[in-house]
Amino acid sequence: MTATATRPARPRRPHARPKGISRRTREMWLLMLPALVPVLLFSVGPLLYGIGLAFTDARNTRNHETSFVGFENLVELLSAADFWSSFRIGMIWAVSVTVLQFVAALGLALLLNENLRFRGVARVLAVVPWAMPPVVIGLMWRLVYHPDAGILNSLLGTEINWLADFSLALPAIIVVGVWTGMPQTTVVLLAGLQGIPKELYEAGEVDGASRWRRFWNITLPQLRPVIVAITSLDFVWNINQFGLVYVLTQGGPGGQTRLPMLFAYEEAFRYRFAGYASMLGLAMAIVVLAVLGLYLWRQMRETR
Amino acid sequence: MRIKSALAAAAVVALAAACGSGGGGGSSSSAPSEPVKINFLSLAWQKESVAANKQLVDEWNKANPNIQVTYVQGSWDNVNDQLVTQFTGGTAPDVIHNDSPALSGFATDGYLLDLKDKLPAELKSDIPQAAWDTVTFDGGKGEQGIYGVPFLQESQVIIANKKLLEASKVRVPTADNPWTWDEFSEAAKKMTKDGAFGVAWPMKSPVNKTLNLALTYGGTFFQTAEGKTTVKVGPEEREVLQRIHDQLYKDKSADPAALGQGTADPLPAFYKGKFAMLPAGVFLRQQVAEQAPDGFEWVTLPGPKGTTAQQGAVSQTLSIAQDSKHADEAMKFIAFFLNGPNQAKLAKGDWLLPTSQSAAADPAMTTQDNGWDVATASAKNLVVAPFLKVNGFDEWKNKVATPVLQEFYANKITIDEVAKRLVDEGNKVLERYQR
Repeated sequence: MTATATRPARPRRPHARPKGISRRTREMWLLMLPALVPVLLFSVGPLLYGIGLAFTDARNTRNHETSFVGFENLVELLSAADFWSSFRIGMIWAVSVTVLQFVAALGLALLLNENLRFRGVARVLAVVPWAMPPVVIGLMWRLVYHPDAGILNSLLGTEINWLADFSLALPAIIVVGVWTGMPQTTVVLLAGLQGIPKELYEAGEVDGASRWRRFWNITLPQLRPVIVAITSLDFVWNINQFGLVYVLTQGGPGGQTRLPMLFAYEEAFRYRFAGYASMLGLAMAIVVLAVLGLYLWRQMRETR
Repeated sequence: MRIKSALAAAAVVALAAACGSGGGGGSSSSAPSEPVKINFLSLAWQKESVAANKQLVDEWNKANPNIQVTYVQGSWDNVNDQLVTQFTGGTAPDVIHNDSPALSGFATDGYLLDLKDKLPAELKSDIPQAAWDTVTFDGGKGEQGIYGVPFLQESQVIIANKKLLEASKVRVPTADNPWTWDEFSEAAKKMTKDGAFGVAWPMKSPVNKTLNLALTYGGTFFQTAEGKTTVKVGPEEREVLQRIHDQLYKDKSADPAALGQGTADPLPAFYKGKFAMLPAGVFLRQQVAEQAPDGFEWVTLPGPKGTTAQQGAVSQTLSIAQDSKHADEAMKFIAFFLNGPNQAKLAKGDWLLPTSQSAAADPAMTTQDNGWDVATASAKNLVVAPFLKVNGFDEWKNKVATPVLQEFYANKITIDEVAKRLVDEGNKVLERYQR
């Protein structure tokens, strides 16, 4: 992926001798080789291996002979109720975290874009969650939600076991997800806001547009490319979330927070069905690509 | 140019390959004079127990300069995930601490060494057959083997607030004459007064506890016919489920606040006298003994009995990896580590019951202090938990039984629904493992 994205455009001068071009190309490949090898070895290789595994009955055991089974894993996956419930939970999680993250981050970005006192400090503070690894965030929030010693229960005066309650566990982790992902969304939106020309607002003011109209008709359309980019990245990031939820709930209670990636992990490393888990990973990758493709395509069409 | 680039590519690939395999087989051939190195993955977590483990390893290393054991700390939370990865990657420790429910899967998958012909006679005879049964499994090719040395066992007891127990004037059960479930429920009802509850059932992880107690009415939950294992929930299995449910919702003698909690979570409320009895594994006595406020008096009562006093036994075990290069040395270390006196130390450190008969005779295991006498006496009721031998039990437990039992104890579904889901969904899970 990276390799194709960063590959420089081939120099094509119409009058150059054909031999020169091929030599240049060869040199370019030679120079790129050191960068390509790790990509092939550590990204493309495992990826292809994983895709291959998805069509076998591979198990993480010592005395099992792996054989090719074609689409058997996919058939089994599509008929498994726990896959669909995990998929549903994954979608609820990814969509709600992405949307809430976007709304909250947009608010924060607009605020930080105003000429406030201590704006510099506030901007730095807003980025703090970004500096924390997901496992640390998970541990920290587990303390917040702790049924006896947690700060949340003592603030509200309740005795709720947030992460163990069947109906509250998912909302509880969604809050953590929003909190975790806000900084990068905020920073990107803030950068976008600062790129909007001031003249547009001045013109709007002259025409007597209210604050709300200026936001709706100037800020949002101007921000559009940034919004499309950050929400799609956030969506991919969120649906692939693993560490945070693994630390918070391990998928419990009773599978109520079992995101697809947790499901795949359990299948592979707890129940040892490596082939099945690979198919699950592959299926999720296809779903993400499809959703993203559709979304980006629609956005592009509307902008045109 | 083409040759040059091809050479360069080959060099890079060779280099990368060399890096990749460098970690693997380095330590395979050691000269005879060099000491053999063994990794010992321990899951001890209580402070006293970690200390006892490390002390025994030190003792061994001093006495055996030719076999050096490295203590590796693991955690119960993720040991099985860790082992799957390590076994697959070929980096598993030589001596592995685990518990018997996990061994079945690893044994079938061929990762563990069959110890049948390696066990020293002394160790073999010091541990009763009932305990060996908890580690005897099908090795994946149809033959039975011994895949670990069982050393610590847990039984279920009732930890009770002495003051509330005496105030209720119920008969105090003894190891020889425990309560029946009826007496237990009656006692819980009597102790429910003045805002206090009789009993608390922390059921965050309800499966093992329920299944072990279900054996008091002969509830096995699994049956095997013609080599095929299926789930069964008949009258015997329903008995204990219904009784616990009744305490919660009919008698209202069980504290509802404790229901979603882990085993040790209700202890603060227990010290405050919010409920009188806490059914728990024997190990929980350690926390009560250490944390209870001054002047808090507590006793250990034997678990209730149904048609029998039997409980399902699960043991902690030490196993040897199939791929270990020093299996014989590892066996010698295990034989030392689990001899009578050492098992007594480990049992004391973890507040569990030793399997070794000589360790169980140790005066420290039979003292009345902290209920050791009741705890040790309950060991005679331990029988192999039937679910130990079920391939796929772990998945059944996580995916089916845990949510179903949690919902049942939360009064969200009826016992008929429990039976139906445990059987229907459960059989589907088990089928994956029997192909």
